[in-house]
Amino acid sequence: MKQLLIRVLLISVSLVSWPTFIQAQDADGPTFEDILRGFEDPSRWLTYSGDYSGRRHSPLTQITTDNVDQLRPAWTFQTGTTTRGRGFETTPLLDDGVLYVTGSNNYAWAIDARSGRSFWQYRRNLPDDLTYGASAPVNRGFGMLGNQLFMVTLDAHLMSFDRRTGDVIWERELADYQVGYSSTMAPLVLDNKVIVGISGGEYQTRGFIDAFDPVLGERIWRFNTIPGPGETGSETWPDDPAILAGGGGGTWMNGSYDADLNLIYWGIGNPNPDYYDENRPGDNLYTDSIVALDANTGEMRWHYQFTPHDVNDWDSNHMPVLANIEWQGQPRRVVMVGNRNGFFYVLDRVTGEFLLGEPFTATTWAREIGADGRPIVVNDGSLGCLPDPWGSTNFYPPTFFPGLDLFILTARETCAIYVPEEPANTRGQANFGGTVFIDSEQGYGALRALDVHSGELEWEFTYPSPSFGGVMSTASGLVFAGDHEGNFMAFDAASGENLWHYQTGSRIWGAAAITYMLDGVQYVLIPSGTTLMAFAL
Amino acid sequence: MNGARYLKHRRHLILLIIILLGANGAFSQTVNPLAADPRAARAGGGIFRAQCASCHGADAKGIDIIDAPDLTLIWTRVEATDQAVFQVIRSGIPGSIMPPHGFPDPEIWMLVSYLRSVAVTGTSKQIVGNSTRGSELFQGNCSLCHRVDGSGGSLGPDLTAITARRTQAALTDSIRNPSANIARRYKPVSLLTDANERVRGAIKSEDAFSIQVMDSNQVLRGFSKSALRELNRDEPSLMPAFSERQLSETDVNDILSFLQSVR
Repeated sequence: MKQLLIRVLLISVSLVSWPTFIQAQDADGPTFEDILRGFEDPSRWLTYSGDYSGRRHSPLTQITTDNVDQLRPAWTFQTGTTTRGRGFETTPLLDDGVLYVTGSNNYAWAIDARSGRSFWQYRRNLPDDLTYGASAPVNRGFGMLGNQLFMVTLDAHLMSFDRRTGDVIWERELADYQVGYSSTMAPLVLDNKVIVGISGGEYQTRGFIDAFDPVLGERIWRFNTIPGPGETGSETWPDDPAILAGGGGGTWMNGSYDADLNLIYWGIGNPNPDYYDENRPGDNLYTDSIVALDANTGEMRWHYQFTPHDVNDWDSNHMPVLANIEWQGQPRRVVMVGNRNGFFYVLDRVTGEFLLGEPFTATTWAREIGADGRPIVVNDGSLGCLPDPWGSTNFYPPTFFPGLDLFILTARETCAIYVPEEPANTRGQANFGGTVFIDSEQGYGALRALDVHSGELEWEFTYPSPSFGGVMSTASGLVFAGDHEGNFMAFDAASGENLWHYQTGSRIWGAAAITYMLDGVQYVLIPSGTTLMAFAL
Repeated sequence: MNGARYLKHRRHLILLIIILLGANGAFSQTVNPLAADPRAARAGGGIFRAQCASCHGADAKGIDIIDAPDLTLIWTRVEATDQAVFQVIRSGIPGSIMPPHGFPDPEIWMLVSYLRSVAVTGTSKQIVGNSTRGSELFQGNCSLCHRVDGSGGSLGPDLTAITARRTQAALTDSIRNPSANIARRYKPVSLLTDANERVRGAIKSEDAFSIQVMDSNQVLRGFSKSALRELNRDEPSLMPAFSERQLSETDVNDILSFLQSVR
């Protein structure tokens, strides 16, 4: 009798809950084709930039230049984990009304996108002897395919989760964290690959980009950012296997992807040591470069080096922004980068041909980029200050506004003196190779809009201090940005006029907004401090 | 457990604790064994520049942008001992970005030696002056804006233990020429509100849209920048410059002697 009762109860529960479950969640989850469609379904945000282009430009138009001043908080999610010294850098993913969010210290959550209430929480038990991961305990987001989520960790692992429960499906070590490796970026998910990068350019590490099978968790290919002895590019380093093995070149920001060319575009970090260079004469390929890799094999098709022989820690870990624009009267497939060295670049993304390089800050590092694409360096630091090691901009996402053809980014105006010193080269210890004196009185920040055809400044909005906030735009003519003072703001994309701001109470560091439609309401989300905040009209 | 057994167990427990404490005292280092070795600070400087400078700055004065504190001031705190600083480096600060460090003990002691070597020294020798008279002069000239030992105003910096952080010459210079070097959070500003009210004060905080000040009446006030008719930062310090006629050298030394007496 008792068993019968239980059986009846279970059937009743399943009858009641099953239709709700169907309505709440697509059982199969998003496919590669869904991610390829990018912003076509406004109730989804399936990859770091919303689509593979890195443009972070949404077609949504409910919030406009006329009504954005009515934007109000809809809900706030408190993470309960802090990142003192850095920021809440994540980009949430959204599918079927559920936000999948990673946090600092390798926390993660599934959150109701309508209410901000959580479904599940995950926290990784991290070792207490983290190296790089201890000083930058951040994470920039999940990758998603089907019912699987993918997250990298501060102890340099790649994990797969069941998105319905937060249960771990598989876990693989990317590299030995005790050497100085860590991982913080949001995985780039393609049809049958999860592509991840690695942090650690300040340690005795050798950067790489890995592709993993999403189901089996097996590695398909690895691209080493520092060539091995005898390999192409090794001639730009000393003939010393030990130096190559610890040459730096982190890959800690996301890449973008062109499905037609089947190429991924990825920024590479600084050489190791950061400031001291006597043991590494040469250009030090492929540090401070962008590489275009065949997505199937990981083979490099082309590269372009922004800062040859870097001695200023100017990693080129920026979001490569892909667009098809008219260039000098001809249609052209380009990739655009606002670089830490203070220059804005346009390259042909089929061939890697250099098309444009113009300064967007008052950097005195180079007079210009020559026709051959090499910078004409006029100040190595001995003729006064240079942009600080955080650079003229940093990894936080810019946006591209099609039609206006504006590249909009957060710029940093700073002044620093670099003093190199031979480092100890100790395993598991940071290896800057010198010190930097930053003049904090001189610094300020600005949101700047650049004409992509000329690199000229179209408008700017200045902030009191150098900022680390990312940028997003919407087709209704709006730009959303955050600053170091904690303001989340909306601007008119055409004029740069500030139309709205909200003080979030903590600096917006490393994160950019996302936006989506649910139940006819357009939401805008921004992570700030320890909270994820949603706004709507 | 009956009373006698409880007492017996308690005696054993206390004995055990004493033994453990004794053992701990015998094996743990409470003073810097390298304190007398001048090479330790130099070696510690190298470790600092490689391991610590990215957050605390090459000069150990901290980096505002990431809230990393000025380490040259840590020794002005009463609780800062060599062992306490050693422990912070070893264990980190839970909940903050300051991580634990697995360096060998001698390297941490080298860092402690280095931090001692770059510490703000302040005024080490006894200032010659009449501290009783200095107290009266302080009350008459300074206490409206400056606080010492919990009493006084707040428009200017708290001067409790200031002689531990700044030299006699620097403090004298600040009295004679206060606009030459104004500390953050005491930068002057002059505002004109949309109601035509003129407000002078010290900037406590600011963003692109608002400014937070302590006005000259020592009232905290926030303003929306869009509602201001004027915002002028090119102002002399809120502190008046005291000439020799207003405060003689003897007067200044008396005041500094008083400040040193309450450190």
